[in-house]
Amino acid sequence: MRVLKGAQIIAGTAVLALAVAACGGGDEATDPATGGAGAAAAPVTVEIAEPQHELVPGNTAETSGAEVLNALFIGLVNYDADKKPINQIAESITSEDQTTWTIKLKDGYKFHDGTAVDAQSFVDSWNYTANGANAYEANYFMGSITGYAEMNPADPDGDGPQAAPAATATSLSGLKVVDPLTFTVQLTNPFSGFPTMLGYTAFYPMPKAAFGPDGKVTAAYGESPIGNGPFKMAKPWKRGVETTISMVRNDEYTEAKAKVEAIDFKIYTDLNTAYRDLQAGNLDIMDQLPAEVIASAKAELGDRYIEQPSSGIGYLGFPTKVGADYAKSAELRKAISMAIDRKTITEQVFSGTRVPADDFISPVVAGYRQGACGEACTYDPVKAKELWDSNGGPASGAIELGYNADGGHKEWIEAVANNLRTNLGATVEPKPVEKFATILDDLGADKWKGLFRMAWIMDYPSPENYLKPIFAASASSNYSGFNNKEFEELLKKADSAPTVEEGIASYQAADDILLKELPYIPVYFYQTNAAYSANVKSVKIDPFERIEIANVEKA
Amino acid sequence: MGRYVVRRLLQAIPVLLGTTFLIFALVYALPGDPIQALAGDRAVDPIFRATMREMFHLDDPLIVQYGYYVQGIFTGDFGMTFRGVPVSTIFEGKFQVTLNLALMALVIEAIVGVGLGLIAALRRGKAADTAILAFTLLLVSVPTLVSGFVLQLVLGVQLKTSTGIDFFPVAGTSEGWRSYLLPGLVLAGTSIAYLTRLTRTSLMETLRADYVRTAIAKGMPRRRVLGRHALRNSLIPLVTYLGADLGALMSGAVITETIFNLNGIGRQLFDSVYLSENSVVVGIVTVLVLIFIAANLIVDLLYAVLDPRIRYE
Repeated sequence: MRVLKGAQIIAGTAVLALAVAACGGGDEATDPATGGAGAAAAPVTVEIAEPQHELVPGNTAETSGAEVLNALFIGLVNYDADKKPINQIAESITSEDQTTWTIKLKDGYKFHDGTAVDAQSFVDSWNYTANGANAYEANYFMGSITGYAEMNPADPDGDGPQAAPAATATSLSGLKVVDPLTFTVQLTNPFSGFPTMLGYTAFYPMPKAAFGPDGKVTAAYGESPIGNGPFKMAKPWKRGVETTISMVRNDEYTEAKAKVEAIDFKIYTDLNTAYRDLQAGNLDIMDQLPAEVIASAKAELGDRYIEQPSSGIGYLGFPTKVGADYAKSAELRKAISMAIDRKTITEQVFSGTRVPADDFISPVVAGYRQGACGEACTYDPVKAKELWDSNGGPASGAIELGYNADGGHKEWIEAVANNLRTNLGATVEPKPVEKFATILDDLGADKWKGLFRMAWIMDYPSPENYLKPIFAASASSNYSGFNNKEFEELLKKADSAPTVEEGIASYQAADDILLKELPYIPVYFYQTNAAYSANVKSVKIDPFERIEIANVEKA
Repeated sequence: MGRYVVRRLLQAIPVLLGTTFLIFALVYALPGDPIQALAGDRAVDPIFRATMREMFHLDDPLIVQYGYYVQGIFTGDFGMTFRGVPVSTIFEGKFQVTLNLALMALVIEAIVGVGLGLIAALRRGKAADTAILAFTLLLVSVPTLVSGFVLQLVLGVQLKTSTGIDFFPVAGTSEGWRSYLLPGLVLAGTSIAYLTRLTRTSLMETLRADYVRTAIAKGMPRRRVLGRHALRNSLIPLVTYLGADLGALMSGAVITETIFNLNGIGRQLFDSVYLSENSVVVGIVTVLVLIFIAANLIVDLLYAVLDPRIRYE
């Protein structure tokens, strides 16, 4: 999963939590400034947090970096309004057995330096990302390709004293260049959803110029990446020092030429500040708004406020194997789920910026069924209490609710705690820890016994991404200890279906098992709240919460 | 005096070693795996974790890690953030921003604080004095968070949208010195209050001194009595306060920097403590300690300038 941009602004949120309370309602409706003189030549400005790494596709797995790279690069596929992949650089992506994929490229795509976007440029880029020695953030995206294990040998004793064995390969054996415009990808397991993965940042190609004489991606490339997209860097960006990333239109790019001449990505540490800049007309687009301004933004900005479902889901998780008694029993987990008033929490605590969750699969991908969770996610205090009492709930001890105190989770966790106290009559102990890492560490060491908060945003728009990486027994992000044979079988069946569509029924059957067992309780779906100034128009946000930057126009 | 300066500088060495080790140990003691903290909610890939831990010596005991750090410093290597930015690069851009901000705040507080204190002392017991004292009370009681947001909204947003006057930028450093006006004012807030009261008290005391009475009695112009004799002799506590305040302003600018989106070290310090980036935290603190020491030294040397009776051995 990509890291929420929130992770970066956590600190700001913590510091400013007070301010928010102090200034609530202080935002009077101001008439947003009109462009000002010389707007035609001025670049369109977009708010981002500081990208966490140098601007290299393989080392970018968070939203701000992805937003920037999205303007510089295009991928094999793009996504249509239904989040289905449509070929972009790819001429075709085909497979007989869902394991060996043949990718043919369209001719004529060029990098900003004039070299051709060919099969080798993809293979080089993916190999580099997959190499454990490079410690790239998006390394795990390559995990399904044959040869990944040889490049990233597992440590035999986890974090223990033994060192991991040395890698036995430096390139993915599953990648083969057939001719300049064709390459094949061998996966370790059949996966019909493979094409849906290919539009993400990690799978962008890199030109020869990216690599230095030693075969490493050069520092200069990380400051001024040469892409193949609608914009190119106007000047190198010095990370840690400069707060603006400037780009100009790539006029060589003919397919869907960008409508504006230049873009500046401006780095903000606080969303409230960025919003004030938007109000003052100094900033054009924000793809994320601070929760406190949502209510006033709707009224103030009208059409220039965008609200749409996003791919994120917020959960409460249970250590189902090693946890407290209430965490081990599916019936008690259901009782807890039914005692949570999702509607009130999303409306009151999140001011309507989240919606109650009713499935493990997000509404942004195919396979989501409204109300799939049914009774278990419906607020019913009476039934919840019955279920709790008849399954030994009162004897299972105090319910612990773990959360990281740095991320603005206190309010909703407290609300859940009150629900559980009132509706189940249980003793509830909210348990703040300083950082989320502490909870993950404890879960890894089987030391965490109670509930814990959890969130997930998708890597690629496939229902598989909401099931396998979180709940498959061997998955790296499986914190609940969930292990169900039937679930694994169904996933396997779905992954080997000839198309994603045909696999959906099996994914949903797997989803049904989760909904019955509830290793996590889905609590809310995130929403994208974006806004733009009167200087621009045609602003759209894609399923990865990236701005469709090439289509933005000056108003 | 040269010997005095050298001795003071030599004294700084154990202070530096002590503070850096203390800070290093404190950051080391923070719970949670810093590499996991980098990844937010996602589980960290074990290979990535192992590579990073190796690279930053995170598996070594505290004293060994500190040893690596000190060794690096002697070879001119100040270390790197977990996200691969050299600490020296961070210093290069961010210290300038924070220094600009702190100096702006210092100038504002010196002018406004001393000015108000002067008026209050001369109008002692009158309406102006009471008003100024009440005003300082207000300054002390309004937190930076509130004053920052209010000034930003009123002068940054509403002034521009209602009158078209675009003088105070809402955020960022793109407008040169003007960018630092609002944040400097906000940051200086509490110090203005203290400085006003300090000036008032100190000046009132001097005004009662015999030599001032003598000067007035022999018919010296009022302006000269005030400037040459009274104010100059009241400056010692003020200079002491301003010197100590420079360091405090630089290290205490986190909130102001966040509100006004200034890419300074306060913000960096906060993030680095959060991520347990030892080398960055210690690097920044070291420089702050140096600034503290330098500021205090300059203040001590200024005493001799202000009061010729003071000598250094």
